[in-house]
Amino acid sequence: MDFLELTGIRKEFGDFQALKGVSLGVRQGELICFLGPSGCGKTTLLRIIAGLEVQSAGTIIQAGRDISRLPPMKRDYGIVFQSYALFPNLSVADNIAYGLVNRRMPRPARAARVKELLELVGLPDSAGKYPSQLSGGQQQRIAIARALATSPGLLLLDEPLSALDARVRVRLRGEIRGLQQRVGIPTILVTHDQEEARSMADRLVVMKDGEIEQIGSPHEIYARPSTPFVADFVGKTNLLPATPLGDNRVQVGEQRFQCTVNSAAVKGAALRLFFRPEDVMVRGVNGSTPNSAAAVVEKVEYLGPYSRITFRLNGIDQPLVADLSLNDMAEFQPKAGDTLRVAVPPERLLTF
Amino acid sequence: MSALPRTVAPLPLFLKVHWSDRIAHAGLVLAALVLFVFLVLPLGAILVKSVQDKAGDFVGLANFTGYFRTPALARSIWNSVWVSTLVTAITIPLAFTFAYALTRSCMRFKALVRNVALVPILAPSLLAAISFIFWFGNQGLLKGVLMGAQIYGAPGIVISLVFATFPHALMILATALSLTDARLYEAADALGTGTLRKFWTITVPGAKYGLISAAMVVFTYALSDFGIPKVIGGNFNMLATDIFKLVIGQQDFSKGAVVGIILLLPVAVTFIADSWVQKRQSALLSARSVPYVPRPSRGFDWAMTAYCLLVAAIFLAVLGMAVYASFVKLWPYNFSMSLDHYRTGLVEAGVFDAYLNSVSLGAWCAVVGAAFIFAVAYLLEKTRSLDGLRPVVRLMAVLPMGVPGMVLGLGYIFFFVREDNPLHFLYGTMGILVVNTIVHYYTSSHLTAVTALKQIDNEFESVSASLKVPFWRTFFRVTVPVCLPSVLDISRYLFVNAMTTVSAVVFLYSPKTTLASVAIVNLDEAGDIGAAAAMATLIVATSAAVCLVYYFLQVWLDRRTQAWRG
Repeated sequence: MDFLELTGIRKEFGDFQALKGVSLGVRQGELICFLGPSGCGKTTLLRIIAGLEVQSAGTIIQAGRDISRLPPMKRDYGIVFQSYALFPNLSVADNIAYGLVNRRMPRPARAARVKELLELVGLPDSAGKYPSQLSGGQQQRIAIARALATSPGLLLLDEPLSALDARVRVRLRGEIRGLQQRVGIPTILVTHDQEEARSMADRLVVMKDGEIEQIGSPHEIYARPSTPFVADFVGKTNLLPATPLGDNRVQVGEQRFQCTVNSAAVKGAALRLFFRPEDVMVRGVNGSTPNSAAAVVEKVEYLGPYSRITFRLNGIDQPLVADLSLNDMAEFQPKAGDTLRVAVPPERLLTF
Repeated sequence: MSALPRTVAPLPLFLKVHWSDRIAHAGLVLAALVLFVFLVLPLGAILVKSVQDKAGDFVGLANFTGYFRTPALARSIWNSVWVSTLVTAITIPLAFTFAYALTRSCMRFKALVRNVALVPILAPSLLAAISFIFWFGNQGLLKGVLMGAQIYGAPGIVISLVFATFPHALMILATALSLTDARLYEAADALGTGTLRKFWTITVPGAKYGLISAAMVVFTYALSDFGIPKVIGGNFNMLATDIFKLVIGQQDFSKGAVVGIILLLPVAVTFIADSWVQKRQSALLSARSVPYVPRPSRGFDWAMTAYCLLVAAIFLAVLGMAVYASFVKLWPYNFSMSLDHYRTGLVEAGVFDAYLNSVSLGAWCAVVGAAFIFAVAYLLEKTRSLDGLRPVVRLMAVLPMGVPGMVLGLGYIFFFVREDNPLHFLYGTMGILVVNTIVHYYTSSHLTAVTALKQIDNEFESVSASLKVPFWRTFFRVTVPVCLPSVLDISRYLFVNAMTTVSAVVFLYSPKTTLASVAIVNLDEAGDIGAAAAMATLIVATSAAVCLVYYFLQVWLDRRTQAWRG
């Protein structure tokens, strides 16, 4: 049985359906990430788990206990907000000890716990400082220490890194993940940043318009998206309208491709063909390579570790993109107007 | 992947209520009850009284028709309206120019002239009237300047009201003008726009809502002020003085109630218009803007300095005359300095108790009022559920702004004078004055508290709940310390207003609880205008001292808390 089980969670704000019956389980010790564009219901779902919003219908079971109707004070979690919500007039130590004081913990034990947590988050010397004397990233780590102080059963992180600048964000994401694994606490992370989600989570829950689109490991979500939305939201994609021809072949414009056609697709029905820019090959491609075609380069963008080529295939209206490594770039030196032979391996061509 | 079939209608689901939240709910219900009893019921009593005759029987609109058939009374409506309009038409341009000088020029002495211009707030409105009597009255120093005309009546009322309303308009306009986006001016400069065109296309539209708001505040103030027409009005009748005469003089409660309702109407209109303006204004300012920094411009800066110094000089002359006259032995025969008015006129005449009562009223309002208003604002803004009650409490919190003091005071007599009212025991006590004054000045204080609360993180309560810390602990340990500067502001505001107000309390004092500001009215009526000036001087001095105390309190607080305010 999962540590936290959500069943049929629905939420209406007036006529607006924020959540349309969401069910999922959070496993012991995992970091699960709710990912989606703004307005997809991910934050509402987190707030329902915290008891800060009330679901219109549905049940929540945490560690075998039905908490669906319990007020926040009766639930068992620690929470970290995007704004940190550190108490500005209390020192770092007092902030961390805030929940401990209420538990009648003796003073020496409290001090020891605060010290332990400060070491855990890597800020052992900041006990006497005030939040305003710390950087954003440091404040966020104190907020995490405060949430963990009372040893809750569940950790909720609501866009914890969104208010930080890019470099700090990347560093802190690894630190939070390491911390979470050391403590072994099941954690829900809400974010709209797919890179952050991929790098931190054991599993992703991709949401859209109040519904779950797909649940899976970061790799599954990236490599095997189950809907066009997921494919497009998690990384750059090429999406093309296609018609199945049977025998694992599809027709796109005047081109034909070999691929893995979804068995449900009927011959002649409309399909969507999907591949990632980095799936496009240029090296060692010749006329006999499967799925190869002559591409006319339209635009070359230099993006640092790789370059993005916008190209067209004969008989297909839509421009396509390919990401080429620096080595490929050095070898082929494509420029706008050049013709280049490209191919996509059949196992990388997916259809919806 | 929406695996679950949709249920037809979701079952309404509520969280169980934690006992600590029940305390918050109880607090909110209590607040609603207090505001209902001390605001809504007294106002309701006026409505009831206006359709009853002296014996308490229902007479329909007979009181209203009777009122409009009395020409002298009906004329008061016209008097009140044109005087208030004129005061608005004079004050707004004067205050706008002053505010413009403060915010848009590089003039010198900004802090000085600003503080002088705000002085009238520290004084009862009567002070201006008394002062103008000493300047231009029958025995006034500059009576000759009027060339036979009289200061008593409309002229005196108008200039006294301009003096009294000026700082209120100034504060609103200075805020409105300081909030303009400098980039608009930079863009206009880049397009080669002339100064005058910039003024009419950027400055005035930007300050539009401030102008409307200030005009309404001034108009309402003039319409409902009682002290000024009472002292300098002579035979010129206005609505506010009519109420007093009808109720206190003729004991005609029903007609008094009718005037109260008439007075409530225009004020209610401006009140509704103002809340509309406030909404628009906040939408206008949500964008991030670059503050405007004025650039030196010799001629303009000199002109502005001259204007502001002139206004400040006039203000000092008005204030100074009241102070001076309070020390003059026997106006206009013996101008030697003495403390006679203080000693004989106040202390020996037993009027000094009124001053002590005022200080005590101020202290009570400052402590009880600030605590109550802030706590209610907190419960409204930061606690959860009871969603039906919150808008009602919010409405009651902003309602007092639309109720003139005279009307509120009238409602209090009607409501509390009845012996079958279980709260009748409050009648004639200091308690009723405290409650009345807090309710009278509730709205601005409430809005200050709400603004302060909105600036602190909304998730403190959520974090506390997740840490299993009850809300009141966070309230006392975090919210109050963080908001302390605003709480002090509220407290000071209530203290100063309790010291200076006349209108509501003029109906409610008893011989034992006479107040300083009311004593001025009585001394003036008894012809002892020297003692009246002395009392007014005492009030100004006390208000100023109180402000200083609060100022040092703030400084001390800033020093203590600068470690975490960062």
